[in-house]
Amino acid sequence: MRPILLSGHERALTQVKYNRDGDLIFSTAKDQHICGWFAHNGERLGTYHGHQGAIWTVDVDPTSTLLASGSADNTIRLWDVKTGKCLKTWDFPTAVKRVEFNEDGTKLLGVTEKRMGHLGTIVVLDIKVDVEAEQSDEKSLTIVCDESKATVAGWSYLSKYIIAGHEDGSISQYDAKTGDLLYNFPIHELNNPVVDLQWSQDRTYFITASKDKTAKLISAKDLEVLKTYTADTPLNSAAMTYKKDFVILGGGQAAMDVTTTSARQGKFEARFYHKIFEDEIGRVRGHFGPLNTVATDPTGKGYCSGGEDGYVRVHQFDKGYFDFMYEVERERQNRVA
Amino acid sequence: MAATAKHNWADDVDGEEVTEDLPPPQKITNKDGSTTIIEYHYNDKDQKVKTTRRIRFITHREVVNPRVADRKTWAKFGQSAKDGAGPAADTTTVGENIIFKPSTNWRKDAKDESKDANAQAMKDKLKDKKVKCRICNGEHFTARCPYKDTMAPIGEAPAGGSQADAEDLGARDTGAGAAGAGKKGSYVPPALRSGAGASAGDRMGGSKYGERDDLATLRVTNVSEMAEENELRDMFERFGRVTRVFLAKDRDTGLAKGFAFISFADRSDAVKACAKMDGYGFKHLILRVEFAKKAQ
Repeated sequence: MRPILLSGHERALTQVKYNRDGDLIFSTAKDQHICGWFAHNGERLGTYHGHQGAIWTVDVDPTSTLLASGSADNTIRLWDVKTGKCLKTWDFPTAVKRVEFNEDGTKLLGVTEKRMGHLGTIVVLDIKVDVEAEQSDEKSLTIVCDESKATVAGWSYLSKYIIAGHEDGSISQYDAKTGDLLYNFPIHELNNPVVDLQWSQDRTYFITASKDKTAKLISAKDLEVLKTYTADTPLNSAAMTYKKDFVILGGGQAAMDVTTTSARQGKFEARFYHKIFEDEIGRVRGHFGPLNTVATDPTGKGYCSGGEDGYVRVHQFDKGYFDFMYEVERERQNRVA
Repeated sequence: MAATAKHNWADDVDGEEVTEDLPPPQKITNKDGSTTIIEYHYNDKDQKVKTTRRIRFITHREVVNPRVADRKTWAKFGQSAKDGAGPAADTTTVGENIIFKPSTNWRKDAKDESKDANAQAMKDKLKDKKVKCRICNGEHFTARCPYKDTMAPIGEAPAGGSQADAEDLGARDTGAGAAGAGKKGSYVPPALRSGAGASAGDRMGGSKYGERDDLATLRVTNVSEMAEENELRDMFERFGRVTRVFLAKDRDTGLAKGFAFISFADRSDAVKACAKMDGYGFKHLILRVEFAKKAQ
């Protein structure tokens, strides 16, 4: 496969995201704009300007009309995907590290940083999925994380729970209506922060990536660990592929140690694991720095990764990828056929 | 005003070029459907340059969701507002080709012998064999033999004289004759080494690789270049468990080169497959199937 290199940012990437139809990619970096791209040829649709600080996170609603972003300038902004216009700004006391729309795009959660005497919080905003509509200023819910600050969070199926990953390596489940803490389990090793959390297509389970060099597949209902994928390097991101049962892990040496290691040792490769068998089945190299974020195409045709090197690499899988099957899978298929 | 001035200037330049006698660009449609475009221009050194390009347009049709199709018509904005249609060269480039083929044993150094069917078959075969020293017939490797320095291998001993002789004259070894030279003297290529010992040594060196190939690997030739590994696998799986299918492919075009290797878990299956598949018609070509020869 020939990857498409997108060089729309001057600084390290922080998040990449596909829209629901898999035709647009949004990327954020530590410079101050968001880029929107067409996934099929890497053409840039446009840039979204307005933030005054590093942008940590981006998400697009399921209909691809609204884009939300969270930044180190202590704001969440809402954008019109089509024109690049900023529609709304919400101010917070600290930086926003993660935003995510729920399944129907009517709610947006934001994770705020713990800093300057403010505790880390998870806030929920009500969104009207309409470019013209006046968005409400009020937060419909605020969850305060007094134990350990939340680093990532997301909506479960039917927007029933909010799942959060914490700095101490634990995962917690909150009731999305009341904000009550239902469970908190120490799932990753103590004090190894959970750095990414991405959902399966039906949002009944999710994958987490942690600095403890593992990624785990966890059910949303009871936070049961279903699978564990062990890597040899601290991870920054984990995603599940659609159509094929694989997971992609991205990571590498921490950015501050990079200059002391060669590209080969730095382990700057996307690692593919089989979702069910937990075996590593291949790697894709290419980045010159650690992979900060990976995202998979909801149509299952490709994936993209954003690195500390400032590039987004978009890959379209080729035939060998789709043909790959375990012996048992092939035998089963032959039996059925 | 500035804009119009600029425009005039550009017009001037164009006008100048027209006055030079450059032949007009030509477009020729070839019989095979491709188009030849011939253009002329001047390079930096005022030399006339003729550019001939042969282009074949291939229309790739993809049915997409109407929402997606609509989004492709959107106007660009922000820093891309001035970009034309199609990817802009400053933000989008195509990387080098990456070969990514998922496989369970992609890690070359992490070979797990116990899971490999071939290794298991090999182990079973060697289960009731014993290690035998070529010097003293004891139950150890020849290299570990306590008499290694004092005795020649059993078959060769007489050539260098009596055994006692060899024992006494360790230091005079170089002068001891042909057999002695094989032991400590200058290098003798395997082909020139004498007798049974040589062929045994030969076998030992190449055994691991050779045995595996010998065991149950078929070489299939005259394979269509459209063939796929999966099709071969399906064809040969009828005869028994296939552990490996290797279809040689051209690096650039991805087309098959015309030969393939099929390894079976069991040699009897391979024999059956060899008998049945030799002469089988596959994609308009007659397959030739034989047992793979050992690598030289």
